[in-house]
Amino acid sequence: MDALALLVAALLPWWLGVALLLVLRRRLADRPGAAAWTIGAGYLAGAFLLTVWMRVVSLAGVAFSVWIVALPLAAVAAALTAIVWKRNRSEPRTRDLGLDLDGASRVLFYVMLAWIALRFAMLGIEMLSRPLYPWDAWTQWATKARVWYELGRIAPFVRQDAWLAAQGAAYFDASPEYPPTMPLLQVWSCLVLGRWDDTLMNGPWWCIGVALTLTVYGGLRSLRAGALASMVGAFLVASLPLANVHVALAGYADLPMAAYYTTAALALLRWIDRRALSDVACALLLAVACTQVKNPGWFWAATLVPGFIVARWPRHGVRIAFAGFALALLVLVALARFKFRIFNYDLALNYAPAWTDLAESYFLLGNWHVLWYGAIAAALLAWRSLLSPALAPLTTIVAGGLIFLFVVFGFTTASFYISDQTTVNRATLHLAPLVVVFTVLAWQAFARRWSAAHAQAPATAG
Amino acid sequence: MSALAWFAAAFVACVAVYLVASVPGAWFPSATTQSYGARALAAVAGAGTLDGDAIAITAVDASGTAVIRANTDFRSADYPIVAWTGFGFAEDADVRFLWRTDYAPSKINSVPVSVVAGRLAPIVLAKNADWVGRITGIALAVRGPIAEPPHIVGVEVKPGGAKGQIADRFREWFAYEPWSGSSINTVTGGAEVQELPLPTLLVIALVIAAAGWGALAWRKHRLAALPAAIAALFVVAWALLDAQWAANLAHQLADTRARYGGKDWRERHLAAEDGPLFAFVEKARAKLPATPVRVFVVADAAYFRGRGAYHLYPHNVLFDPFRDTLPKASSLKPGDYLLVYHRRGLQYNAEEKKLRIEGGDPISAEAVLVEPGAALLKVL
Repeated sequence: MDALALLVAALLPWWLGVALLLVLRRRLADRPGAAAWTIGAGYLAGAFLLTVWMRVVSLAGVAFSVWIVALPLAAVAAALTAIVWKRNRSEPRTRDLGLDLDGASRVLFYVMLAWIALRFAMLGIEMLSRPLYPWDAWTQWATKARVWYELGRIAPFVRQDAWLAAQGAAYFDASPEYPPTMPLLQVWSCLVLGRWDDTLMNGPWWCIGVALTLTVYGGLRSLRAGALASMVGAFLVASLPLANVHVALAGYADLPMAAYYTTAALALLRWIDRRALSDVACALLLAVACTQVKNPGWFWAATLVPGFIVARWPRHGVRIAFAGFALALLVLVALARFKFRIFNYDLALNYAPAWTDLAESYFLLGNWHVLWYGAIAAALLAWRSLLSPALAPLTTIVAGGLIFLFVVFGFTTASFYISDQTTVNRATLHLAPLVVVFTVLAWQAFARRWSAAHAQAPATAG
Repeated sequence: MSALAWFAAAFVACVAVYLVASVPGAWFPSATTQSYGARALAAVAGAGTLDGDAIAITAVDASGTAVIRANTDFRSADYPIVAWTGFGFAEDADVRFLWRTDYAPSKINSVPVSVVAGRLAPIVLAKNADWVGRITGIALAVRGPIAEPPHIVGVEVKPGGAKGQIADRFREWFAYEPWSGSSINTVTGGAEVQELPLPTLLVIALVIAAAGWGALAWRKHRLAALPAAIAALFVVAWALLDAQWAANLAHQLADTRARYGGKDWRERHLAAEDGPLFAFVEKARAKLPATPVRVFVVADAAYFRGRGAYHLYPHNVLFDPFRDTLPKASSLKPGDYLLVYHRRGLQYNAEEKKLRIEGGDPISAEAVLVEPGAALLKVL
């Protein structure tokens, strides 16, 4: 019975999101990887919309129940499905194949697919066996889920002084200002289960991990990476150890942050590539979702803007974007002079990042396998293509993300968290899947340039 | 020669270079490793008590030092490596390895011991001029103050050698890394203390293999395939690391299954690390009203404050997530509850029904539930 409940809890947002993306898109399968993209991005969109609906329900003063939450969303999903079905009946059938592989490449493709499947099976079993484990999960995330589930509505969480003054009208936890998206997904799981269960309620983390893997594969395919290269990208993302930990020990918002940010960036890149309504709508929706998953999501969403500028004004976009980065840094320096506080971090001019500890975290420990070696190598070897029209938006977004991390760990009180190996890795996790995408596409650009140059060599020599 | 063969050869070459640079003493020694467990160790300064399979250093002496010693008798030339196993050492702890020899029995020699992630790095003494003759005693000195007791599991003296070095590195790379409080923040990838990180070694081997394969391809005019070859090697290096990670996950799955398998939600919580606290909170919840009330949660340890509060929701709990503080008496109103779990500084007079918080003015309260080290009080 629990398995069925978990399935229903996962399928409703999936259905809603996929149907929405299909309605927005003109054809069912318009390019390779479309199915993977739609299923992956569909879950993320649907899960976010589900929580938006729960906020509306709570705001209207109606108590949460499975039917109050599920029925209207199922009706919307059914209506969207009907539109898609009707439209595609009258259109010629297209097929999403695109597996242009043979021999060893095909074997490798399926080996990696099986590896990914095995990994998610292991992570799923672990996640569904263990009571809520990691620290912040029970001091600042599931705290809200428990209260909102039991009360049947969203109750306010406040800081200690406000709690004392509220005389029981408000609740307290370690981070009362955190956004409600992830706790509401836990509430949704419990509503379907019919009871509070802080093990099974974490199903959305597993779904988000799967969705992220699918969007990376589908996104890379749609950005003209080969099937094998795209599967390599998906494999790298699915096997990132720290991302795996955040599925197995579910309860933090960092993996969802990474999934929403990566998928928003990929949707933007898809829109830049072909200017389809569905992609810009998806990018906007998921960028908004970033801000509602975790507070740093505001900054992550902002790093998408330079990518848009570079694509919209190709001639001067890169200069505008990097001038914007410089301006932002100047503003931060100015704010730091006034001891400005932002999302509980003090801006400071005492620049002293712990480079040794950062290098240990990125290059020596097991958090990222060899991701950062690969990303640096790809950036160096593909440097002549990084600002080409095809790569410039992604390069700018990743540069914006790295600058953000640099500022956070170099100029705020968060620099302390590098040396104790805590927040540094979790903040990096937000960007890591997009760095995988960048590595694959940059390497592909280098490979094309290199192969074109050296394919001619024998003929020239002859 | 395929890129993969180049990679394998480069890896072997890297390991060989490492051995040349790192093997102390003989390459093929006849001596075998000697181990001294916690029961073979004794505190000769400060205080140490057996805690499971380890000695917990609980206090320092008047000079601010704790010393844990083992009596030994081995030839220094046969054992150039000393590896202490322990945990819970502060990153800035002043830890030194001490030894005495039959060559200069009255002299106590010492070298500093590095602390990495709370553990002790091995010490190589092959080139230390005082590591001579027979070693008649070894010890570990920790200078205080000691906030949380560090633990010493034991010490091994090792002959080193090529085989020993390789075995040690493999043990470090493939050591089981179970979930801990820090897992959500960082993955070590094997043992917490590693002399030669596997990711770096694999990348160096990859670079050498790419150069070798590229040079050969250049001569054969096949250089166009170089990016594909490097990409393939990158994926192989990644997969090797991931295989280690997958094996660790499988081990963890077995552990989790052994602990929680076949249990329902409540039984899982009782089997968890904070099972006794969960059991107490369950009893407390039964005494609390059905509708949410204000509950102040206090405990010495942040873990118990946070977990106690978490188990009490949807009651309206207040706890200090960061500091071990007590609520002001003035903030407690009639009808509020106070859940105390392993917290000093509170006095309750059952006859007078008075609660005194850290010497402040007494307030009226009723003990609703009392167990050793834990209580639920209602403010009257």
